[in-house]
Amino acid sequence: MILQLNHLQGKAAGASQEVIETLYAMLAEGHIEPNEFARLRIQLDWLQYKKNFREVVLVTPDKEPGREDAPFLQMQVDTRQVVPGCLKPAVMRALIRHQPKAGMGPAEENLPLEEFKPFRSSLAWDFNRLYWHRLKEWEVATGQGYEKALPGGQSDANHPDAVADGVADFWTLIRDLDAKKQLPPEIFLMEIGVGTGQRCGLFLDRFHALDTQRGTNYYPKLRVLLGDYSMQTLDRSRAAVQKHIDLCSFVALDALNPIKTLSFLRHKLLHVHLTNVYDNLPNDELLRREGKLFFIETRAFLPMNEVVRIAEKYGLPAEKTRTLVSRLLEGGPDYLGDYDRGMNYWMEIWEAMRLEERLVPIEDVADSVLPPGLDVAKLEEILEEAPSDLRFHLSSGALESFSNTIPLLGPRGYLQVQDIFVTDFNQYRLGFHGPGKLDGSIVNWVNGVLLREVGERAGYDVHFAPFQYRKGSKTSILYTTSRE
Amino acid sequence: MTLPILPTTVVGSYSMPGWLERLKTEYFARRISRHDLDEIHDTAVKADIKDQEVAGLDIITDGEARRDNMIDYFVERLPGVQIDRSSKKFYYDFYDSVVQGKIPMASLGLVPDFKFLLANTDREAKICITGPHCLTKRIRNQHYPDEASLAIDLGRVFNLELKELVKAGAHYIQIDEPYYSGFPEDLPWAVKALNTMVDGVNARIAVHICYGNRYGKPSWEGSYRYLFPTIKEAKVQALTMEFARRGGEDLDLFKEFNPPFALGVGVIDVKSHDVETPDLVAERIRKALEVLPPEKIFILPDCGLFHLPRDVAFAKLKTMVEGTKLVRAELK
Repeated sequence: MILQLNHLQGKAAGASQEVIETLYAMLAEGHIEPNEFARLRIQLDWLQYKKNFREVVLVTPDKEPGREDAPFLQMQVDTRQVVPGCLKPAVMRALIRHQPKAGMGPAEENLPLEEFKPFRSSLAWDFNRLYWHRLKEWEVATGQGYEKALPGGQSDANHPDAVADGVADFWTLIRDLDAKKQLPPEIFLMEIGVGTGQRCGLFLDRFHALDTQRGTNYYPKLRVLLGDYSMQTLDRSRAAVQKHIDLCSFVALDALNPIKTLSFLRHKLLHVHLTNVYDNLPNDELLRREGKLFFIETRAFLPMNEVVRIAEKYGLPAEKTRTLVSRLLEGGPDYLGDYDRGMNYWMEIWEAMRLEERLVPIEDVADSVLPPGLDVAKLEEILEEAPSDLRFHLSSGALESFSNTIPLLGPRGYLQVQDIFVTDFNQYRLGFHGPGKLDGSIVNWVNGVLLREVGERAGYDVHFAPFQYRKGSKTSILYTTSRE
Repeated sequence: MTLPILPTTVVGSYSMPGWLERLKTEYFARRISRHDLDEIHDTAVKADIKDQEVAGLDIITDGEARRDNMIDYFVERLPGVQIDRSSKKFYYDFYDSVVQGKIPMASLGLVPDFKFLLANTDREAKICITGPHCLTKRIRNQHYPDEASLAIDLGRVFNLELKELVKAGAHYIQIDEPYYSGFPEDLPWAVKALNTMVDGVNARIAVHICYGNRYGKPSWEGSYRYLFPTIKEAKVQALTMEFARRGGEDLDLFKEFNPPFALGVGVIDVKSHDVETPDLVAERIRKALEVLPPEKIFILPDCGLFHLPRDVAFAKLKTMVEGTKLVRAELK
């Protein structure tokens, strides 16, 4: 047995003893074969987020085709969920689900909500989409704004010093272009994922003040695009930019593919900003183990006891849960007739939903599952310098968004993204950051190493600077410079 | 060989396939030999020639598959220019290059590659060479008193090479000077260096001036107005410029300044994967015909096709030829 502690968080360290004792007890009782015990490879506390879609114990199949047994039996234990004295049943449940055997009772039934598939295609992301489309309703139902769920209770995007520095950089660029007689008559800039619109409002206030102070008269030339895929969010953001409304256009767009909506602005934008968008875009995960690359497929499910409990609570037939979930995702909480009941049903299903996973060797995965700008050969090249035995984010959505945004940038234009980035593969040794649940949404750290690689091949150097404006902030600011 | 009216050609490069990118990078990682890479390049060039012929171009190039980018193919051949071979991580990166003494007059050895092209096609062939201004902007100067002096000396070395190419059968030569648009203030000395380069060279010489295509994106924006009237002093027969992506407004500069050049009209946007229709190509050509007579116009893409996927590049060339045929029919 190999016990891997590298992700273990301090407070949960005490539970590691319980894990070892439980497994030895199960070996002694014959619930685990000596052969299985020897092959066990256990990772504790492998996922950063407390709310993380996973059960307390997870056994991940990674059988290679034509091979009876995998060299290791992978088990992940989230020690934060361990209730003292209750680990054994959880281990047994996970083992039975992995490989049912005589004497251990029937496999506990779960209700799969979908087939195994790349995580980015999971219906978990439909829940995420529903949340952002119906954000206001969620906030009313929970009684708190979504920013309250963020660490620190507010978005770093709106920090006045950060905004002021951002404005200064942008104004300097414009002045430089002006001096070289390269300033276009209209100065296009865009924010994608505008949230409340507060950051954009602050940016324009500050820009206006600076422009007036310096007497440069650039402000009237600004053409500001506020983009979001939720019309509700766009409508809400109007109030925050009311003073500058004549310069602003509100564009419903998919953050994964801005160029699709704005192709007429190809090579025209001088600045694009996103805060906390990439971490919320569909993601996939990869694992490299003993030199082989595996794609992690997931399947969303509901524990059967939760299915029964929720169905009884709302007076709905348990056997129709899959249909009801799919209708909820299509039509929102109204679909259940009684709106309040629908809201609560949505929240309880979301709370109960879990993900199970399996590993698929990458040679079985078509290049098409990889995001634009990245193919298997390039990925393997990058991984040559990464530590071995590594689970990491592919950040499919972030890479797709990046690749479909940079063609909008003009020759001197730049992209600025504020988010939670992994900037070195070694950081994955210290923790696996997501997916986690944040209110009704999904949050993932973003693989900055891959963004840097894709950026380089597209003609941009990608830089990361820690967010220095709030002590303890985990966010960084990505910015691009044109590559020679 | 007689060319039709509105002859079609490419700016220089053809699509660089991903597999060749990987093999070139393998070479820099010393995983394949120079000999193998040369064979790979020969095969890729033959494929590029065939695609241009099938697309129906009148004047073709070797597709520039041998070149990592528009700079390094030349700096690694330039006598007196030192390059740091470890400075490349990816084949497309530029070498770090430096000149620390006077550049001696010596051959660059471009003739064999051009002869390879001639041996593999019956079409008219063109060779494209990066100009002295562009190279001056990429080579660190630690010897000459100023950029102009370096450029003039580069012009001298290239002049010798152009004459060798003409002897080898080069009738069409294109000099690439995209950095003019980024550094318009350099134009007076840049044109002098260009004239040094072409002095006494007996061929049809065009200068290609665009707004950059590094990584398939523009490096600068603006108007071609900066070229005039200085460019009129250039001792070349033609300019080739990009009009598809940027629109045809600057065509009027040819009416306003009446330069003594033929014009290679860019009618294919090489920064977009959307394939133009023949009608759109024809429309762009007609717009050029409003300012210049047909005998002074030839047709090409805005810039090299290097960054386009092969199927897109091929389709764009085909549609360019079809669109040109539409206008030729109208001119009859």
